[in-house]
Amino acid sequence: MPNIAVFIEQRDGAVKKVAWQMLSEARRLADAGGGEVWAIHLAPAAGDVAAKAGAHGADKVFNAMDDAFTTYNSELWGTALANFCREKSPDVLLVGSTALGKDVAPKVAGKLGCACISDAVGLTHDGDWTVRRPVYAGKCFVELTPTGGPFVVGVRPNAFVIEEKAGAGAVEDFAASLDGVEPKATVARVEAGDGGKVELTEAEVVVSGGRGIKGPENYELIEKLAETLGAAAGASRAVVDAGWVDYSHQVGQTGKTVGPNLYIACGISGAIQHLAGMSSSKCIVAINKDANAPIFKIADYGIVGDLFDVVPALTDEVGKLKG
Amino acid sequence: MKIAVLAKQVPDSETRINLPAPAPEIDDSGFTRVLNPYDAYAVEEAVKIKEAGGEVEITAITIGPETVKETVKKDCLAVGCDKAVIVTDPALDGADEAAVASVLAAVLQKESYDLILCGLKAIDDDSGQVGILVAEKLGLPHVSVVTKLTLGDGSLEAEREIEGGKEIVNASLPALVTCQKGLNEPRLPSLPNIMKAGAKPMETVTCADLGLEPPANLVQVKTYSPPPARGECRLVEADEPAAAAKELARLLNEEAKVI
Repeated sequence: MPNIAVFIEQRDGAVKKVAWQMLSEARRLADAGGGEVWAIHLAPAAGDVAAKAGAHGADKVFNAMDDAFTTYNSELWGTALANFCREKSPDVLLVGSTALGKDVAPKVAGKLGCACISDAVGLTHDGDWTVRRPVYAGKCFVELTPTGGPFVVGVRPNAFVIEEKAGAGAVEDFAASLDGVEPKATVARVEAGDGGKVELTEAEVVVSGGRGIKGPENYELIEKLAETLGAAAGASRAVVDAGWVDYSHQVGQTGKTVGPNLYIACGISGAIQHLAGMSSSKCIVAINKDANAPIFKIADYGIVGDLFDVVPALTDEVGKLKG
Repeated sequence: MKIAVLAKQVPDSETRINLPAPAPEIDDSGFTRVLNPYDAYAVEEAVKIKEAGGEVEITAITIGPETVKETVKKDCLAVGCDKAVIVTDPALDGADEAAVASVLAAVLQKESYDLILCGLKAIDDDSGQVGILVAEKLGLPHVSVVTKLTLGDGSLEAEREIEGGKEIVNASLPALVTCQKGLNEPRLPSLPNIMKAGAKPMETVTCADLGLEPPANLVQVKTYSPPPARGECRLVEADEPAAAAKELARLLNEEAKVI
């Protein structure tokens, strides 16, 4: 009878989509195994999160409302989630693999002395838990079993499908008990960067450019298609290392690993370290002049052609479809 | 000032995993092994701090078999680290993140370091946990995914990459920082420096030397499996690029239903 806790991450009042994806998957697991789904929400104010969490499958929503949860702090968030696990003893705490989640998940596990598994894409429970995750940036997958519980699992964005149902969770206040916690590291300020409007690792569609774009001035072809699709713009290591595009766009084993619904690779030949970072995408499109480029081996659709012709034409066509 | 750099030897990013069917282990016999690229940023940052002046001693710390020595010599000592501690113990084969963090924390506790640097993750396990777990075990603050680091008097300011921007974090020293691409450009070792690096102290220890029982894993590996197979690529052909683009957009919309 697994009880599954899901961390609801919000930044400036906006909840990360991965939280709803985790709740939906937790609901499916709990329905199969007869347990409960709990949402743990750290924020300065409750907002409408409890109702939304209920609609995504939470049986109980624990609201830990504290002004301390305005700006992220590893020590405060880590302490609050560890206290929650100590007090409520869920089998597992799911934390989205976001910038915040990747920072806090090991912190919680460290405080609890429990197992932590990063970047999960699958969870099953048949008496024991099995967690599936990619390693070597997706060149292969591993199935892991934690010893004991509660344990912490980081969940890759877009790994699970959102399901909404009519329903409301019971709402309870949770006292995070932060008295006496004095963080030795604090966020002084947050600055917006040039990383693009849509975050790569969370995007449902990614458009990436490789060496085929020939120069930094042509990256706007990629950005225009991305913008038309509401997608994030990515890049291969070659163009990042050449200094054409900021490293925050890099997809691959030494950049970001992505698994969107649609990945469009433009002028990317498909080096093994790049394929590793995007091969779990659900639908892959390759646009490349070289019909023998390795990218076509993992693509679902391909156009052998010059990206300078094809990409603007595709941007126009997508624009028409999107109206 | 004493700086520790936590380093790991990993298979090169060009490595192919030969795994035709699910198996309890990966055949790693043909792998070319290098310093984890993210740890190279940690090494470079430590060396830059030393070059900026003052009394700085840099210790590279790693866990691994005898074969890690060459990587430590070439990619840590030859580029500016002063000495190395290597934990070599067969009991640590297959150690998980928590076990590795316990051993590294035990090594770090032998000295008092002002700053601990490591990569944000290793490119083999991809878990990104070890640095943060080490900091937690030592009761130190950490800043993860750092792209800029400035040291002050007993403190640091770090820029940490987040979605669509950055957080500027202040922390007191001692502290642990995990390094991201963009922090610096790691230098390559020169041949004379590789020769000289052989004379730098390299201490090999076991868990017993550290007064430590080999820590038990908290996570057990059941099986490794290859990625799911992908279907054939459907090539969209047309006389004009515009026609091909139109057909592709139609397929993505109507058949694949992804736009």
